[in-house]
Amino acid sequence: MIKVEQLTKEFTLSKAQKKELNTNENITRAVENVSFMCNPGEVFSLLGPNGAGKTTTLRMISTIIQPTSGKVEICGIDAIRFPREARMKIGFLTGSTGLYARLNANEIIDYFASLYNVPKALLKERKAYLYDLLDMKGFADKKIGKLSTGMKQKVSICRTMIHDPEVLIFDEPTSGLDVITAESIIKLIRSCKEQDKTVIFSSHIMGEVDLLSDRLAIIHNGELKHHGTMKDFRSEMKDKSLTQAFINIVQS
Amino acid sequence: MIMMVVIPMLVFPLLINVVTSISGSFEDSAEDKKIKIGIIGDTSDYLAQKLYDIPSSFGPKELVAYEGDSSQMLDDYKNEKLDLLLFYAPNVQKKLDANEKAVVKWTLDKTKIGNRGRAKGYMQIIEAEARFLRYDALGINEEALKPFEVIYENSATEQQMIGELAGGFLPYIFIAFGFMGCMYPAIDLFTGEKERGTIETLLSTPVHRWKILVGKMLVIILSGLMAAFSALLGLFLSIQYLDMVPDVKLVEVISTILTPTFIIKLFFLLLPLTIFFAGVMVPVSVYTKTFKEAQSIIAPMNIVVIVPAMVGLFPGIELNIATACIPILNIVLTTKSLIAGNIDYLLFALSFSVMLILAGVAVLFSFRQFGKESNVLN
Repeated sequence: MIKVEQLTKEFTLSKAQKKELNTNENITRAVENVSFMCNPGEVFSLLGPNGAGKTTTLRMISTIIQPTSGKVEICGIDAIRFPREARMKIGFLTGSTGLYARLNANEIIDYFASLYNVPKALLKERKAYLYDLLDMKGFADKKIGKLSTGMKQKVSICRTMIHDPEVLIFDEPTSGLDVITAESIIKLIRSCKEQDKTVIFSSHIMGEVDLLSDRLAIIHNGELKHHGTMKDFRSEMKDKSLTQAFINIVQS
Repeated sequence: MIMMVVIPMLVFPLLINVVTSISGSFEDSAEDKKIKIGIIGDTSDYLAQKLYDIPSSFGPKELVAYEGDSSQMLDDYKNEKLDLLLFYAPNVQKKLDANEKAVVKWTLDKTKIGNRGRAKGYMQIIEAEARFLRYDALGINEEALKPFEVIYENSATEQQMIGELAGGFLPYIFIAFGFMGCMYPAIDLFTGEKERGTIETLLSTPVHRWKILVGKMLVIILSGLMAAFSALLGLFLSIQYLDMVPDVKLVEVISTILTPTFIIKLFFLLLPLTIFFAGVMVPVSVYTKTFKEAQSIIAPMNIVVIVPAMVGLFPGIELNIATACIPILNIVLTTKSLIAGNIDYLLFALSFSVMLILAGVAVLFSFRQFGKESNVLN
């Protein structure tokens, strides 16, 4: 379960950043008073245009950065006070998380499993399950630097899930991938839901959101513009397409 | 790996070897070179004859005589057809016979050390002979003109001499290669990981940040030590097997200096220095956003490190309470004293403590910088 309350993140601007953003303010608020909840067995979509604050929100939930104010609870653990305990429960993947190019997929998975203290017997079992699910057997011994973008993303996902986390945070997981790889990731998210895991993912693609989401939140300029179930969103929307409904909410 | 092991261990000693053999061959060829000396007058003149009489084992030579004014000779000298010019008055012999002073002028290019040496050497032989004849003619006992026989006895052992004159070279190499060995891992493990996005992956794991930092710093320190050790090993092996030092006795002295105890002491001394290097580089590479940016800041730091190390190379600069407090210089001077075998262990402890404190401050600063979100994530 993920519980987010009044989450706010401010960044101090450097002189160069002030000039770049054409502002005299010393701080910028990337996320402001965002609250939502995501339950086990549910897929939660975080939608928003570029720069809306999605990645910052997900980074705060995954304890990579600290919020300026607000609360984050992961499976009942206060993630701000006990970030390491919270991280044990989280699998975090963003478009920008990279892999070590000189290691092969197997070595990467083993390395991260050791960071999560995954016992050897369980690691073997998890590897077999995930390699099969992600169709990774063909390239498990190849160096990451020699893999295609899709293959790399599969290794990243496997790395994210190796410790069998209860909460999965995917930041634009299908960004830049071909349709076949994107489809396999969508399948994986579905299987996570079936296993009663809590899944939160951010995306631009309304098709994906429509396929997967149980609940959604729309964020723009750091503020929550909409929060509710997908079912309600569909029934309440006045437009023909989900994309148009999303645009209308953002522009309102 | 290439930067840390191959260059220091193989390329660097080979480079020194090539340079010493090239400069040696230049010296040899300068000794064997046939020097052309221009004179105004006749080859039968007194000085010309005396020059001819000097055996060719003092260097082959050829006299070129010019008649009349010196313009033709000067032109040839300018066009490098002549190496030396010798001017003298026609009455040299008369002056010598009259026990008077004869003026002799050599024109030479001081940048060509070989030519200058030749002119001085020839002149010393001619003058010695003329002086001997004059003592004889005046009936003076040459020995009677020397009231003292002075002996300057060197009380320093060969080990002390090596320590003072060449002892700074060892830590200098260590510092230069240690810095280089730290530089690339420091940039790659922070700025590089930031650029490739792997640092975010690492930070999402339940590992303490300080553990990540310590792990990375250990890699940097070990790389620095490895590069420095490779350079020292390469140098030692080339002294032993590549005949880089022609003096057999000197090689023996070097072998007695490089004992396991000395090497342990050296590494003990250089460990806080390498930690200090890592502690200085890490905040820079944590702060910078690209590999090139980090490189452009850290690479010039090399000069800041090398200059105090070079000061320690100068003979006469000694380890005392003041110099023991100057970072880097203190390490060079302490190593020099260790090599010379006259180390004051209180100053050794002071140098070590100064570097240890600085290393501690640098590591704390690194920790603070690594803790800043804005530095760690792009």
